Amino acid sequence: MTTTASTSTSPTARHLWIRSRGVLLGVVALVVAGIALAATRANDHGPLDPRSPGPNGARAVAEILRGRGVETRVVTTLAEAALAAGPDTTLVVTVPDLLTETQTTALRAATTGTGGRLVLIAPDVSTPALAPGVSADPTPAFAETAGPSCALPAAERAGSAETTGIRYRVASDDADSCYPDEGLPTLVRVPTETPGNPGGDTVVVGAPTFLVNDRLDEHGNASLALNLLGSRPELVWYIPTLADASATTGDEQQGLFDLMPSGWLWAALQLFLAAAVAALWRGRRFGPLVAERLPVVVRASETTEGRARLYHAAKARDRAAEALRTATRLRLAPLTGVPAARAHSPEALLPAVAAHIGDPAQAAGLQELLFGPPPGDDAALVSLADRLDALEREVSRP
Amino acid sequence: MGFTGRAALLAAIGSLPVGLLEPGWTGVLAVNGTLAAACACDFALAAPVRRLRLSRSGDTSVRLGDTAEVTLTVTNATRRPLRGLLRDAWAPSSWPAGTEADASRHVLEVPAGERRRVTTRLRPTRRGDRTPDRVTIRSYGPLGLWTRQGSHHVPWGVRVLPPFHSRKHLPSKLARLRELDGRTSLLTRGEGTEFDSLREYVPGDDTRSIDWRATARQQTVAVRTWRPERDRHVHLVLDTGRTSAGRVGDAPRLDSSMDAALLLAALASKAGDRVGFLAYDRRVRARVQGHTADDLLASLVAVMANLEPELVETDARSLATAALAAAPRRALIVLLTALDRAAVEQGLLPVLGRLTQQHTLLVASVADPHVAEMAKGRGTPEAVYDAASAAQAQQERHHVAEQLRRHGVTVVDATPDDLAPALADAYLALKAAGRL
Repeated sequence: MTTTASTSTSPTARHLWIRSRGVLLGVVALVVAGIALAATRANDHGPLDPRSPGPNGARAVAEILRGRGVETRVVTTLAEAALAAGPDTTLVVTVPDLLTETQTTALRAATTGTGGRLVLIAPDVSTPALAPGVSADPTPAFAETAGPSCALPAAERAGSAETTGIRYRVASDDADSCYPDEGLPTLVRVPTETPGNPGGDTVVVGAPTFLVNDRLDEHGNASLALNLLGSRPELVWYIPTLADASATTGDEQQGLFDLMPSGWLWAALQLFLAAAVAALWRGRRFGPLVAERLPVVVRASETTEGRARLYHAAKARDRAAEALRTATRLRLAPLTGVPAARAHSPEALLPAVAAHIGDPAQAAGLQELLFGPPPGDDAALVSLADRLDALEREVSRP
Repeated sequence: MGFTGRAALLAAIGSLPVGLLEPGWTGVLAVNGTLAAACACDFALAAPVRRLRLSRSGDTSVRLGDTAEVTLTVTNATRRPLRGLLRDAWAPSSWPAGTEADASRHVLEVPAGERRRVTTRLRPTRRGDRTPDRVTIRSYGPLGLWTRQGSHHVPWGVRVLPPFHSRKHLPSKLARLRELDGRTSLLTRGEGTEFDSLREYVPGDDTRSIDWRATARQQTVAVRTWRPERDRHVHLVLDTGRTSAGRVGDAPRLDSSMDAALLLAALASKAGDRVGFLAYDRRVRARVQGHTADDLLASLVAVMANLEPELVETDARSLATAALAAAPRRALIVLLTALDRAAVEQGLLPVLGRLTQQHTLLVASVADPHVAEMAKGRGTPEAVYDAASAAQAQQERHHVAEQLRRHGVTVVDATPDDLAPALADAYLALKAAGRL
């Protein structure tokens, strides 16, 4: 009985290779394409980034400024930004609204009184904290451009520019309010001079449009950007990120895991691995399921039951009563000596049945019972069935 | 390839040293590295499933309800001992529901270079051919941490034959047959009876059968005895169309009809008649013809094993043609079908003339005891409507049977348990009357 040919159905290494090489090739192609794409897109940073050459980047303005001797540096943490603040520095904050309350306070403290310039691009809720006396108006500007209409030299030189976005309300008297849109300025310069360090100011601009690569050559955008950002020899570009550790500080931020002894954590990790092993153990199937063609399962009496339900649903008492009466008549006929062919004629059946039952009162009701009208309700139908049974018993009794 | 429960347990226990002694990557690596090394060891030492040799032997046929034993021989040609589990997978109907897991799995230990046998006991729950799916073997390493798993396809086939429950009726029917068989003189003379022999008159014999010429030669009164005709043709035609699929009790109508057909075939072949069999719906599903009495039953159950009801309307016209082609000479054609009003009125009645012209026709049908039960329902409106519907169904059936009888057809309509003996009785009655 020993067979020599292998009966194994498990794939050999060769089969596995043949079967999976297509998929493997696809995976390799995907990885190579991904690496190539990442390499070509390496210098594509986010919007308003001075390293980004895309339409929303700000590399153009940074390059022009470098040509004029202004060095651009990018920082992403508050600590670096605060360190960079000084009289020779312009600090640009691209998304001030990303800063937490602690961060705005720290940034304000670091930049006030240094004599440097702080440029805030489109701040909204964070405006009062960063630029005292200025607050954002809830309704934005509709016009794309606005004229300078103020005494700020940079604005006057530039002429109209695309600064319109958020509009500001200004409370301090010594602020320059430029580029108004329906009465409210979209560019505000607030001096932050202190007696020791003159010349410091904070500039709030309602929209980043005038800075981006795509729009720099429109209107007076370029002039405004160069004048605003090129007033100091050093330009620090602060791009706030959520990953900045200074965003979350304080004891209340400490999680549950920080409070647990490290042994528990490592033991839990090991238990997790054990659970994974157990899952692999239980998940291993002991051979596949076996399929089988199943036979049809239809009860032969199903149509009869279905017809009974239909009778009931339609309250077909006439048909039901007729079926019961016919059945009884067919059973009574041979008992009383009436040919089956004449079982349904009252003239033949009734006298024969009456002869078999002694009670004349019952015999009088035979016509109604065997050939009468259909019962009026279900209760009458039930009682008709019982009376038919009783009649049959009576007749079949010897 | 896979972990075992022991590996998972060890990994869980490993959380103690990791937590207490060496919390950190070092501890995790130490514990899991050890475990991984042990698993790799186990993998290397477990017998490879692929290189096992498997073969089968054992039963190839079994009656429905009996147990078949199929033996698998596992030869371990490797140099590593095999410790593991074996699952011999068959179709689910090879075992009663719920017992498959126990019946199909075996613990297996085969030392290196030896062979062992494991026996799978099948108790099929349906007729038909059963083929094994695949044999899956899980081979454990000596440490019990890692398993290798693989499957083998080892072909075999077990044919599950119809149970022939009605064979318990065979002795009594054979006794009845012997009664007819000229050994008693109670037989009334019919046109199809043959002269058998002369014997002495005993009171009670039909005086019409006294042979006066022989009596004159002898001192005693001699009577002629008759025996039923022999070497007649009986053709069983089984309708496998949609009406045979309906379940009556636990089994489809087809199974009850088969049972009755088997009893009749056994009886008729014992009575010296030639039996043919045809299963038909829109085409021939099975055919048995020209077999001797000895191997008739075996070939009948073999072809019946794989018959299943087909969900098509039986083509009565071509069925009649096929039956006539199978029975060229005068024969008793036994049609096992359902007395379904529509099927009979539109299918069978138009072709009845062709069948009864030359042959004797017997129609046997499985009645549903559930309908009879429903007809007795009383007391609630639901029950009475059921009873009315059942009465209607019975009348229709009755009407159909009457129509057939009017055409000279013998009709046997009985519940599954009674059909086989009733059909046998009808056959014996026809034989006694010499109408074959």
